Parts: sequence; C-alpha cells; structure tokens
Amino acid sequence: MLFSRRIVLGLAMAGSIAGALAFPALAGEGPTEVDLFFPVPVDGKLARDMGTLIKEFNETHPDVKATAVYTGSYDDTLIKTRAAIKAGKPPAAVIMSANFLLDMQIENELTNLDALIKADGTTKEQFLGQFFPALHGNAVINRSVYGVPFHNSTPLLYINADKAKEAGLDPSKPPQTWAELTDWAKKLTKREGDKVTQWGIAIPCAYDYCGWMMETLTMSNGGRYYNEEFGGEVYYDTPSMLGALTWWNDLIYKHKVHTPGATPGPAVSTSFISGNAAMMMLSTGSLTYVRDNAKFAYKVAFIPRNVRNAVPIGGASLIMPAGLEADKQKAAWTLIKWMTSPEKSGWWSRATGYFAPNMAAYKTPEMVEFLGKNPDAKTAVEQLDVAKPWFATYKTVPVRKNLEDEVMLVLNGKKQPKEALAAAQKAADETLKPYNAETSLKLP
Amino acid sequence: MSLAEPAALPVATSAAPRLRVLKRVLGRFKASLPAYLLLLPSLIFLALFTYGAMGRVLVDALYQRASPKAPVRFVGFENISAVLADPAFTGAIVNNLIYAVGTAVPSIALALLFALALSRTNAVTSALRAALFLPVLIPMVAASALFLFIFLPNVGLLDYYIGRLLPVLPNWLGDPDIALTAIMIITIWKNAGYYMLFFLAGLQAVPEDVMEAAHLDGAGPYRRLRHIILPELKPTFLFVTVIATLNAVTQVDHVFVMTQGGPSNATNLVLFYIYQQAVEHYDIGKASAATLLTLAALMTLTALSFRTLANREGGP
Repeated sequence: MLFSRRIVLGLAMAGSIAGALAFPALAGEGPTEVDLFFPVPVDGKLARDMGTLIKEFNETHPDVKATAVYTGSYDDTLIKTRAAIKAGKPPAAVIMSANFLLDMQIENELTNLDALIKADGTTKEQFLGQFFPALHGNAVINRSVYGVPFHNSTPLLYINADKAKEAGLDPSKPPQTWAELTDWAKKLTKREGDKVTQWGIAIPCAYDYCGWMMETLTMSNGGRYYNEEFGGEVYYDTPSMLGALTWWNDLIYKHKVHTPGATPGPAVSTSFISGNAAMMMLSTGSLTYVRDNAKFAYKVAFIPRNVRNAVPIGGASLIMPAGLEADKQKAAWTLIKWMTSPEKSGWWSRATGYFAPNMAAYKTPEMVEFLGKNPDAKTAVEQLDVAKPWFATYKTVPVRKNLEDEVMLVLNGKKQPKEALAAAQKAADETLKPYNAETSLKLP
Repeated sequence: MSLAEPAALPVATSAAPRLRVLKRVLGRFKASLPAYLLLLPSLIFLALFTYGAMGRVLVDALYQRASPKAPVRFVGFENISAVLADPAFTGAIVNNLIYAVGTAVPSIALALLFALALSRTNAVTSALRAALFLPVLIPMVAASALFLFIFLPNVGLLDYYIGRLLPVLPNWLGDPDIALTAIMIITIWKNAGYYMLFFLAGLQAVPEDVMEAAHLDGAGPYRRLRHIILPELKPTFLFVTVIATLNAVTQVDHVFVMTQGGPSNATNLVLFYIYQQAVEHYDIGKASAATLLTLAALMTLTALSFRTLANREGGP
C-alpha cells in the first residue's frame, strides 16, 4: 500500500514538474499565451528592458499574453529552442542569432513566414522593404522569409582620439585603408625598450568573434567568406582570405603593433577603455559600453579597406519554430510585427546600442533627437550601405570553428597563414560533406 | 497425487530444501523491505533523471543520421569508432589526463601541507582554515568570471603586478601553451581548501599515544610524518585522489566560461567535447557515444576505488 502510494506520489510530483515545464500555456477561453525565448548577448540590463517591452505589448494586446523567457547566450538559446521543439512544445517566437537560421532551416526547425505575410495582404518585397537591404540575406532562405531582423550590428573601428592627437594624427580624418591603419597603429604604439606599453590596435579573436572578424577582414580585402546562395561551401583557402590573415599576422609579428595571441572581445574593450590599446575593431553592440565608460574622447569609423569597403552584419532575428498551432502562430506573428515596428525597434536600439533594422525607426522624432546627441551611433547605420550577410552554412558553428582554431594558431605564431588556411579549408570541407552529399553532389 | 507411491518420496525430500531457500529469500526480502521503501523516493528520482537518461544515452549512441534530411538509423558501434577516430576527442582525452594529474597532485600536496600546518585548533589556525576554505564557497562560474579579469592580457590584475618583472607579457588564456595551465591554476586554488578538510579529519584519527611513544623514542618530526602520519592517512589519500579525478572529468564550468575549449582546442576537456558534439555539431549520436565512453571510464575508476577502499577497511 505504502509502496504504491509512494510511486503514485513520486509520479504525480514528477508529472506536475514535467507538466509545468511542458505546458506553461494551457489555452482556454482567455488570451492566447505565447512564450518568447530571448538571449542576452551583451549585458544584464537587457533582460529588464525586455520585461518593459513585453509588459507594454500585453497591455496593448488583450487577446495575447506573451511571456518573455530568458534563455542565456545565443548558443544556449539555440539549445533550449531545439530541446523545446524535440519535446513537442516549441516556444512561439525566439530571438535567434541571425546566422543560425540557415542551419535550422536545413534541419526543418523553422516556420516559413511567407503565408503569414501573404495573409496580411502584403507582398514579401513590401515586407522586407521595411528593413535595411543588408539584413535580407540572413532572413531569406530559398526566396522564403524565415526570420524578421530584430537587432543588428556591424564591426566598427574605434579610435582613442586623445591618443591620436598626442601622436600627431587627426582623429577627424580616420584611416580609410589598411595602409593608413597600419601607419596609424605604428605611430600609436609606444615602447620602452622591447616592452610595449601601448598597443596600436586590438582585434578580438575568441570562438564566434574570431570568425566574424575574419569575415570582416576578408570582405574588406575583396573576398567572400562563404557561398551566400548555398550552405555547402566556404572560401577559406583563397587569396582574399590569405591576404586578410597575413595582414593580421603582420600586425603582430612584423609591425609589432598588435598584442600576440588570441584576445577575446571583453579583453579588447577593457584594453581600449584602459588606454592600453589606442584603436580596436569591435561590434557596434559595444558602442553603449564605450560611451558609458571611456574617460577620453573617442571616435568611431568604418572598417578600413584594402580592396573595397565591406563588412558583415551581426545580431539576431525573430523566428518561429516549426510545429506551432495556428492560434499560437497568429499570436506570435502579432508580437513579432509589433516588436519590429519603427517605434519599438528604435526604442530597443537606444536601450541596447544595436542599430534598428527597421529603416523607418530613424525617421521617428525620438531617434532623430538621439542621433543628434550621439552622432557616433550614426556611423554604424551609414556603414550599412556596404554591409553584407553574416556567414551561415550547414553546421555554421563547427565550420566556423574549423577556421578559428587555425587562425588562433597563426596569431600565436605557431603556423603560417598559408598552411593554416589550407588546413582550415580541408577541415571545413569535411564538416560540410554530408550536406553536399545530399545536395550538390547528389546527381541523377 | 503421487504421494502414495514410495518412489515419489525422494522427490518430496529434495523439494523441501528448495522451498526453504525460497522462504529464506522471501524472509530476507521481508526483513529488508523497509530499507527498500526508504530508498524508493530517491530511486524514483534516480530512475527518472539519472538511469533513465543513461538508458537513453545508450540507445542514442547506437543511432545516427546519414545526412541532415535522412531519418535516424541503427548504426551499432559506428558512433563509438567515429568518436575514437576524431582527433579532437583524443586531444581532449590527452588534455584531460594532463589536467587531471596537473590538478590532483598539486592540490592534494597543498591540502596535506595546509592540514599539517593547521592541525592544532586555536584562534589563528581556525581563521587560516576559514581563509583557505573560502575558495570552495565561491561558485566555479563566479570564480571563472573573476579570473577572466585577473588573466586579462596587459591590463589584468596578474599582468599589472607581475607584468613588470617579465620581458614579454603572456596572453594567459589566448596562448595554447599557457591556457591549460591557467585553467589548472584555478582548479588548484579552488579545490586545495576542500581537500584540506579531509586531511584535517584524517589527522584526527592518528592515534595520540603512538605519536607520544614515537616522540619519547626520539623520532623527529620528519620520521613521525613518514612512518606514522602518512601511513595513517592512506585511506584519506585514496579517497581524495578519487574525488580529485572525478572532479577533473566532471567540472568544466571554467572551461565553458573562460576559453570555450580554445585557443585551438588547447583547453578542450572531454565533457566540453561532448557538449560541442551535442550542441554545436548537433550530432546526438556522437555525443552519446563519447558520453558512454566517459561513463565507462568513470565507473571503472569508481568500482576500482571502492574495492580498494573496502580492502583497506574504512576511509572517511
């Protein structure tokens, strides 16, 4: 008797725990309940801002009850979304790192948004037309819309204007080419004997950031990181990437203006803020941090070019996982459209430092006023004219890591750029093999 | 029905002991029933969250998709051989072995040293014990975040102080030659105080009269340590070694926070490799196979140590 009661009790407890996890929204007659998974990639304050945003949505939309669920980093958000899909209870909407969309689409984990756009009486072109053209590449797969850009970034060149003046450089005319940047970096590096007390430039390299910086340098060297039309190819062993990596390597070992080794993003921004590095390449997402913490005059500029001006975008899009019920889909679509509207898009941009993907956001009075006060925020938006999609392939993260591991060896002086890139290409081809076997190499 | 027949008698007599055995087993079960009942709540949770998951891993390790769109199919031991052939996995094992030895030996040595120095209880030693135990109370994730700052190249706390002495400042977490050592330093700092507790407890068990006798016989501090204290501490050593080895495999919080296994896989440990396979490669089959291999190694280790512990009668 006791025995079975224990089991029943245990099962009931386990059941209720599982139930609470799996069915947070038992829809009755009331509003449609939807969950929004959101990551916080930069700092903790964002979670509070998201709370404010969702509260406002719920107050203005009585028929939908949205709940914001904090899901950690971009990577964690992908794990949790996939776990929820596998459990058969996907969240209605997710803020997903923009370069995970292709991989998810290949795994059949995304809802195609075309039908919802059509049901609104708009065309795909009209819908996408609201957003900066540079952002379309990561939202559209096989000519169908799978994501709506939510917050985005591009890499920028940050310059310590005080140090530049000290070195006899004019910060109002920032370096525009790699040659000029190398020259600036040399003039901004201070040495005491063999020891460097101030570095000319810092470029981050840690998993995730490193691949993005390699794409940045390769693109401004005229190259492409990957095949934008097809997820089975990357271009690591190419002259444009070789030039990019060789230049980075030269900054360290030839010109000695960049600290050796791989330096993660936070270390780079701290180094810049403390005056240890006079220039850095970092995301626009760090602009608010720099604005709040720099005790010196700073200047932001486009990433200098060797062949052409071009940068990749970064950031996240709103997506809907596959397998949602129709009413949830509808409610989530309302939420997504509301969150990406000009007013909300602009508000989120001012709160976070990301730029607003919705072009109309920059015509709102609040945004005009904000840009008047913070002209540096404008540079990121202007650079969008030359921005292109973020690399996204089959198994984006491992394919990226194939390159990053080799780049780290180069930055540590353990390998030469040429052989490193050949090794990276070989490893990436191996990772991409199953996808190619199913697509480009599947012949009649 | 054949009872009347005399020939059936031997059968009847041989049946009786069998019945007795059954009865004895039943009786024993009845006697230990309360014990099973007391174990039941935790057994249910273990079954739900540990054994159930382990069973699932076992099954998942045998399946694989040929290509992204293909359904999963049974592949037997293919996943396991794929994992064993993966240089990243063998690299992670080598790293993990270096990490295990490189953290267990120094932290146990330090712990013993601390315990010997602080074995007497007074106000000063109590304060010092508390100070040495403090790192144990800090969650590994928080400690890693702190060390991330300490290890910052050029501007971090470490470089700020010792940077003046070195000609070239090391990039603690960005150089594949140093990163694993940096990770090991944190582990030693974090665990030495914890192991000290076990040695302090072990030292209480060293018989006072033997020590006194040795003292009277003129044995110096070194001989007392070598011939009395260390032999008495043997079970503690064994236990702490097992704990330290298990920690080396199961604690990767700092790798996760500080290096993500990098640079160039220099700090990739087995558990982090499993995470990468499951999450980054989305390859549940390979992740399960690697988990299975790790689990087998850990269980062998635990079984061996339990047997040795039992042979030695006791331990903490």
